[in-house]
Amino acid sequence: MPHLKTVYAKFQNDPNVAFLLVSIDDDQKRLERYLDEMKFPFPVVHASSAEMQRAMGFNDLPSTFYVDRRGIVRYQILGFEPHGDSDARVAWYIDQLTHH
Amino acid sequence: MLAAIVVTVAAAGAQNSARDQLARGREAWDQRLTKTAIADVQEATRDPATAAEAHELLGLIYAFKGWQQENVFPGFHDEPAYREKAIAELKAAVEADPKRFTSRQALLVAEAFAAADKIDQLPPRPLITELDARIERGRSLDIPIGELVEALQARMKAQADPTPYFAGAQVLIDRGEYNNAITLAEHGVPVAERFIQENLSAFQMEGKSDAALMRSRAQAADIIGWALFMKKDYPGADAKLGEAERLYRGADFNNQFHLAELARAQNKPDRAREHYLDALSLTAGPPAARERATEELAKLYAAGKKKRKPFKGWLDAQLTARQNERKKADLKSRLDTQLPTLELTTLDGKPYSTSSLQGKVLLLNFFASW
Repeated sequence: MPHLKTVYAKFQNDPNVAFLLVSIDDDQKRLERYLDEMKFPFPVVHASSAEMQRAMGFNDLPSTFYVDRRGIVRYQILGFEPHGDSDARVAWYIDQLTHH
Repeated sequence: MLAAIVVTVAAAGAQNSARDQLARGREAWDQRLTKTAIADVQEATRDPATAAEAHELLGLIYAFKGWQQENVFPGFHDEPAYREKAIAELKAAVEADPKRFTSRQALLVAEAFAAADKIDQLPPRPLITELDARIERGRSLDIPIGELVEALQARMKAQADPTPYFAGAQVLIDRGEYNNAITLAEHGVPVAERFIQENLSAFQMEGKSDAALMRSRAQAADIIGWALFMKKDYPGADAKLGEAERLYRGADFNNQFHLAELARAQNKPDRAREHYLDALSLTAGPPAARERATEELAKLYAAGKKKRKPFKGWLDAQLTARQNERKKADLKSRLDTQLPTLELTTLDGKPYSTSSLQGKVLLLNFFASW
């Protein structure tokens, strides 16, 4: 997920855009090691896997949701993107919601 | 332990009570099994103890069928016959329990939907129908381009919707006028945005106008991508058709068909097969394109290695599997719904609320480090 850091760099000065990562790890140690390595510049929080899957309806990880300013889920990518993750695509989704 | 057994027995004994019936109906409704839900909840309206709650739930289900379901599942359409029924049920709920706040609220919402329905009920004006037909006739190269342009301009002037831009662009592609098609489709997007903004009240819900905006952008991107494909600009076509796919959320026949044709031209048989199958598993699409997709799939299948089944059987199984998968995904989909309140904690164990992010565009990513 290093690509999220790249995209964040583009939006970090935009007060209307926020990134939130939700870890559903059981192994706190492993998560800490991962975060130490990744040093994400945006908030990372933790939640129960079962509850999140029920609330958001995903089976695969990672799953990404793009939520508009009114709190409506506008795009969802369940599991990896079919043609691979790309900085451009993540930025495209955010641009759709900030410009329109 | 004993208490648990007692509870189980009590529940079994009262299996047919109105309360249980209502609970079963609600459960079916949560799963959007509307037929079962309606049958159970209708029963529960007969018992005075559950009447208000049951009428309210029935009203909500009918309102969903009458006004909302088109937005929720691709391929569903609203059933106007349920609209009056929805209002009648909600009125019955308020009558059964005038203090019931949720029923009164639901009734207000349904009445607002009904009021919005009264807007723009006029049939298309004959002039518009005639001009649309003239544009369509312009597909034939026997019609001089000047005549087509005249028809397009007259249609744009007659009514401000984006149809002449998108339909006109399709006609221009068929005439081999790729660059003009791209320009026209591009101009269609701001026209669509303006038309939707000007007529916002004609869309019964906010979600509907957003969906309409997204469809216009998707339509333009798909047409432009297809024109670029015809010009053999494959990278350009890939970018535009891909954009349309994301805007359509992968659920448009023409777009999937175009992506398949592009993949085939780029000599990517696996991708072509996936897109042809996705296209055919969606309803609609012109018969000629459906036929072509089936023929191309047959060729791809014949060239493939595994051929244990005859083509027809394989195709049917593939399409059914895709349709089932889509139905399952739609039921679980959170698209176009409010982000629910999530119970989150910070890494040092304090509760974290997403309310601090209200009013922002949010990228919400769920991951695990393993």
